[in-house]
Amino acid sequence: MAEDHGSSRHMSASQKELGDEDARVVRVADAARTNERLDLAGNAVRTAKYSPLTFLPRNLFEQFHRLAYVYFLVIAVLNQLPQLAVFGRGASVMPLAFVLLVTAVKDAYEDWRRHRSDRAENGRLAAVLSPGGGGAQFVPTEWKHVRVGDVVRVVSDESLPADMVLLATSEPTGVAYVQTLNLDGESNLKTRYAKQETLSTPPERLAGAVIRSERPNRNIYGFQANLELEGETRRIPLGPSNIVLRGCELKNTAWAVGVVVYAGRETKAMLNNAGAPKKRSRLETHMNRETLFLSAILVVLCSIVAALSGVWLHTHEEGLELAQFFHKKDYLRRDKDNDYRNYNYYGIAAQIVFIYLMAVIVFQIMIPISLYISMELVRLGQAYFMIRDTRLYDESSNSRFQCRALNINEDLGQIKCIFSDKTGTLTQNKMEFRCASVDGIDYSDIARQRPPEGDRIWEPKISVNTDPELVKLIRDGADTEQGTQTREFFVALATCNTIVPMIADGLDPKKKVIDYQGESPDEQALVSAAAAYGFVLVERTSGHIVIDVLGEKLRYDVLGLHEFDSDRKRMSVIIGCPDKSVKLFVKGADSSMFGVIDKTVNSDVVQSTEKHLHSYSSLGLRTLVIGMRELSQEEFQEWQMAYEKASTALLGRGNQLRNVAANIETNLRLLGATGIDDKLQDGVPEAIEKLREAGIKVWVLTGDKQETAISIGYSCKLLTRDMTQIVINSRSRDSCRKSLEDAIAMVNKYQSFSTDPQLRVPLALIIDGNSLVYIFDTDWEEKLFEIAIACDVVLCCRVAPLQKAGIVDLIKKRTSDMTLAIGDGANDVSMIQMADVGIGISGQEGRQAVMASDFAMGQFRFLVPLLLVHGHWNYQRMAYMILYNFYRNATFVFVLFWYVLYTGFTLTTAITEWSSVLYSVIYTAVPTIVVAILDKDLSRRTLLKYPQLYGPGQREENYNLRLFIFIMIDSVWQSLACFFIPYLAYRKSVIDGSSLGDLWTLSVVILVNIHLAMDVIRWNWITHVAIWGSIAATWICVMIIDSIPIMPGFWAIYKVMGTGLFWALLLAVTVVGMIPHFAAKAFSEYFIPSDIQIAREMKSQDFHDVTRPEVQMSTDNIKWTREFGKFLPLSLSQDAAGQHNIILHNINLGECCQCQPRWS
Amino acid sequence: MDSHAAGSSSGGSGDGAAQPRRNSRKPKYSKFTQQELPACKPILTPKWVISVFVLVGVIFVPIGIVSLRASQQVVEIVDRYDDACVPAGVTDKLAYIRNDSIPKACTRNLTITKDMKQPIFVYYQLDNFYQNHRRYVKSRNDGQLRDKSKASKTDNCDPEAKTVDGKPIVPCGLIAWSLFNDTYNLIRNNETLSVDKKGISWKSDRDHKFGSDVLPMNFQKGPLQGGKILDSKIPLSEQEDLIVWMRTAALPTFRKLYGRIYVDLKENDTITVQLENNYNTYSFSGKKKLVLSTATWIGGKNDFLGLAYLTVGGICFFLAFAFTLLYLIKPRKMGDNSYLSWNRATLGR
Repeated sequence: MAEDHGSSRHMSASQKELGDEDARVVRVADAARTNERLDLAGNAVRTAKYSPLTFLPRNLFEQFHRLAYVYFLVIAVLNQLPQLAVFGRGASVMPLAFVLLVTAVKDAYEDWRRHRSDRAENGRLAAVLSPGGGGAQFVPTEWKHVRVGDVVRVVSDESLPADMVLLATSEPTGVAYVQTLNLDGESNLKTRYAKQETLSTPPERLAGAVIRSERPNRNIYGFQANLELEGETRRIPLGPSNIVLRGCELKNTAWAVGVVVYAGRETKAMLNNAGAPKKRSRLETHMNRETLFLSAILVVLCSIVAALSGVWLHTHEEGLELAQFFHKKDYLRRDKDNDYRNYNYYGIAAQIVFIYLMAVIVFQIMIPISLYISMELVRLGQAYFMIRDTRLYDESSNSRFQCRALNINEDLGQIKCIFSDKTGTLTQNKMEFRCASVDGIDYSDIARQRPPEGDRIWEPKISVNTDPELVKLIRDGADTEQGTQTREFFVALATCNTIVPMIADGLDPKKKVIDYQGESPDEQALVSAAAAYGFVLVERTSGHIVIDVLGEKLRYDVLGLHEFDSDRKRMSVIIGCPDKSVKLFVKGADSSMFGVIDKTVNSDVVQSTEKHLHSYSSLGLRTLVIGMRELSQEEFQEWQMAYEKASTALLGRGNQLRNVAANIETNLRLLGATGIDDKLQDGVPEAIEKLREAGIKVWVLTGDKQETAISIGYSCKLLTRDMTQIVINSRSRDSCRKSLEDAIAMVNKYQSFSTDPQLRVPLALIIDGNSLVYIFDTDWEEKLFEIAIACDVVLCCRVAPLQKAGIVDLIKKRTSDMTLAIGDGANDVSMIQMADVGIGISGQEGRQAVMASDFAMGQFRFLVPLLLVHGHWNYQRMAYMILYNFYRNATFVFVLFWYVLYTGFTLTTAITEWSSVLYSVIYTAVPTIVVAILDKDLSRRTLLKYPQLYGPGQREENYNLRLFIFIMIDSVWQSLACFFIPYLAYRKSVIDGSSLGDLWTLSVVILVNIHLAMDVIRWNWITHVAIWGSIAATWICVMIIDSIPIMPGFWAIYKVMGTGLFWALLLAVTVVGMIPHFAAKAFSEYFIPSDIQIAREMKSQDFHDVTRPEVQMSTDNIKWTREFGKFLPLSLSQDAAGQHNIILHNINLGECCQCQPRWS
Repeated sequence: MDSHAAGSSSGGSGDGAAQPRRNSRKPKYSKFTQQELPACKPILTPKWVISVFVLVGVIFVPIGIVSLRASQQVVEIVDRYDDACVPAGVTDKLAYIRNDSIPKACTRNLTITKDMKQPIFVYYQLDNFYQNHRRYVKSRNDGQLRDKSKASKTDNCDPEAKTVDGKPIVPCGLIAWSLFNDTYNLIRNNETLSVDKKGISWKSDRDHKFGSDVLPMNFQKGPLQGGKILDSKIPLSEQEDLIVWMRTAALPTFRKLYGRIYVDLKENDTITVQLENNYNTYSFSGKKKLVLSTATWIGGKNDFLGLAYLTVGGICFFLAFAFTLLYLIKPRKMGDNSYLSWNRATLGR
């Protein structure tokens, strides 16, 4: 955790140092002067996108970013040209207008809600120092009028109106507690300090002071500025601990006064408000490919019509002048030469062009416009069901599933690779102090007890079980060397941290409950442990801390604190002890600590501690090493000078501080080590097993060390005994290259041995951050990729946040595999945004990951129902809906096309223009949406029982070019049936265009709805209503259109429905159209059944589980692995020197017993 | 997995039950939100497939037989007269038809091939006349036809919207302009058969689409006469030939009802038709035919429907047979999990 958190902070820390030229100058309590020169944002915020005036243009502009809409706009415009007017004005604009209107209404509603919340937010009141009149006083002012430079007073439980530098607080020490729940979701209190220099001055007397701060940025963990008081030349440095941010709440502090440095949209909270980047679903990308095919078909159809019309005009040219139906000349008007003018005729070439464009207009719905809006509605429905799923609700954090991105639901059904963070995602991030190695003695495996009740005054909120032996040693062994060491160890635990104790009255009036608030759960665990052993941290101010040591309150002065950073991987404090000695306490990761520990002092302790550390981490514990040094007076003074210089430096302060820290953190004496247990979340091993059975590769990316990572890997069943591990942990570029090459050789060897997938040896790649640095620096990515895809499991340890994104990118760039990243912390943000699907765990580590994610949920194990059930459904539904929409519109267009061939290629439609327009909007839209939201190909239980059923999504079996071609062939056949059966029956009859058009309208609608009905798997009442209702609605619409006397087709439907032929044809069309689809479906389902089909049959026949035992398979594998092991050249040939590049652990069952973790 | 999920969630709710949360955000359970609505899940079992095909066959074959018989009961006499009615020796048919000074009377003799029961429908049939041509089919104004006050509204009627001096034409547009104007006079044994021309149009059209107070105005006043000239004293709602003509045909070869004969015709009766061959179809090589036909429930003579039904029924019987055979040759146990791909792979080893 320490690593994870620290590195995230490191990542986000502003790298540039503060220079004068680009600083923002804030004059304290003088907002007028502050604002006069610079263009600073006011405090009014505006999250709404539109104003009533700009709504129409902006919203339309945004909507027309969709290329399809532009296409339909162009067609609507084309249709307005008199020569091309195929449809009436209303009918041509309606479909586009409808789609635009629906979206606009949705946008307007959302924006109205944002406006409302903006108004509420801007209208809140804050107490602003007003310099006017007799003596300054705080006047309530609306938030939107607060300006940079204003001095604002905030009382307890009030929200902060802007980002402010603290000037003074109600606490004499200048401390203020803030809750950053709204900002990063962390509910614990953060401490912020006012500077000693401003603490005692009344705020009105501070006027004239100047703050120079960095420009607004979105880094909520970083701030750099300095304060220059009036009449002083010294600049007081200001850092992140001196600023309180907008959106936070003041807690446990009566009041605080601060000066506004960033306001409104320049506050860090607002700058961080940018939503997640827009992602596009895989299916939608593929859909574009098929849309292109459809465009090609459209072009072909139009070309055929245009060409044939040219031929027709040419062959009939002579007769056109007198043919009554063509009337080429306008006999009522003459031109200059006294000839009759051509009427609406511009020569064959022009006629061909016009016919072509008219054909585009008539056949436009080949590209389904309603598909886009249908998809949005379907995703909304799917999201509704995911959010409402009680199985995705997490009781412990009271959080529902969240759909933050609404356009990638179906991607959940196609995931091939999961990248998971470990801490907080696989594990609970609730740290528990488990082991301690003090002075070379291990206190871990001894029966622990609850600490004795009774005489204790201080009761830590997190209770820690204690080791009685250790307790006894502390109590009684004050005089022994060992006892002193042990005491120092616990003093170190209690002091070397940034924890703030919050004291509250307990149930028992004599007792006080201490809640340790801090940013790192590891530190909370350590301080709680120290408290349990009698070293209770009871008070912390910026200058000192008070520790209750075995009942005696001692004051320790905090002389300096070097914060954790991911380069040093350690933190240290310099403490002035009650006995006037000055001590340096350091704690950090073992890799960094053993570099600064003086191994000559007590080498046996060092050795045994190292051994303990190894065993701790192989148990999956997070380890920290504690060291200390007593500083001499000279040393201390030297350090103090350097420290002060560095901490007030304007340029390169961060680096200077780091150097100061590195200089002092040397020659440490080893005190001991701690092992903290990071408990697995519920159901993680089972979930990982299911996911792997589903054919999803799981990669774990963690900041933990290799041993910890591997043991967690075992405990969550990521690594299994039959796996062959490839370990790459190189410390130099060359060895890294060699490791990679060896690993490739290994992988190839394995693959060549096993062509049969059933005989494959599962491989696991374990690689550390250092090696990754080398790999990403050079062009060996390709090699790493080759290895990685051959492995079933990849475990990356010691990786930095940006490396996580790099690894995701490695896979995304080179394969078409769908990736999913899941994490909970700020350090996972980059990875979550990089992956195709990003999932945030709404848990302990704040909300940054959730904010960046596409979906958020409470537990890792929810991935299983999410992917295997909802993902499967979403994908299957959406895939079918897209195909169906293509088919549905194509069928209609083909029917129109066949008719055009019998109208002299002039694009007359027997089907009324209103039916053409309503076809994809009303006649057939609802059933497909309902089916795409409600239909389930398999039940939840079956999907969870056979995770392999996830495969069809990964293999894109529900949507591919083959299916597209099949359904298009079906579409052509059905259109042929639909057109030619009535055509042949009505040839040489008195049938009029409108009656035949109505018959075609109804039969095509019935056909496509029956087609859908045939593919529906689960019929519930809503499906019935939608499908049959849709046919009825079409009938009603056709009747309504035919009841308008000024329509040419007046009364046609009533007339034609009175004839027996009509009904006979309707039946014939439906049956003939459906026979191929039905026969093909019956054939393929029975003779070439898909897994889904079989599973469905099993479900329906209620076959009770005779699954072949999976165990049999894996034992086969193990047997085989053992034999295979003999051939391994590198097997178990571990290099004792430690500088091994590749270790091949061919772990058999027997060997594994020793590393069997103790999870029980 | 299910058992696991149940176990862990019950474990979790155990804590929850002990101290119930005040505002739990747990979604409320309902069959709808959990997607567990009762549903029917049909599966295409062999039984179903075969029964569907047999059922379709059983329904289709009888319908096919019935319609085929109905079609064969229809007696239809078709006489093409466009060529025959041009006097021999006329080479330029177009000039002939356009010359108003030449009388266009023509006589044709038809022999009744089979007894025809009344009512007998008299149709004229035009071939290659694109009444569905876009230029043509749009050239009308329906508002003008039913409402006297809208007589001047001639939108969409170009090029037959207004006369040369700008007066609105009623009825305007190409369709009305090109009204068919051949006339037939049927004579049997020197006795004129009365052709009833009342009620040949749709009642709905007469009542609602064509106004009873709308009289033709400025009709056929242009330099080119398209067809029949309407009697300007008779309102449109009674001009049934116009009403029939303006129900534009769906296909380029079509029939229009000319009238009905309420007399039975006997086999071998000879009908003499005195016709006036006025209508110009020679410019586009269109054909004109006179049709006498009886009718049944499927309309006129058309074997297609019966044949189609018989064919489809036959195919369905064949498919039923083929599927039965396939199911017998290559049976598969439904829902046998050994067919699952991952199990099949293990078995194959």
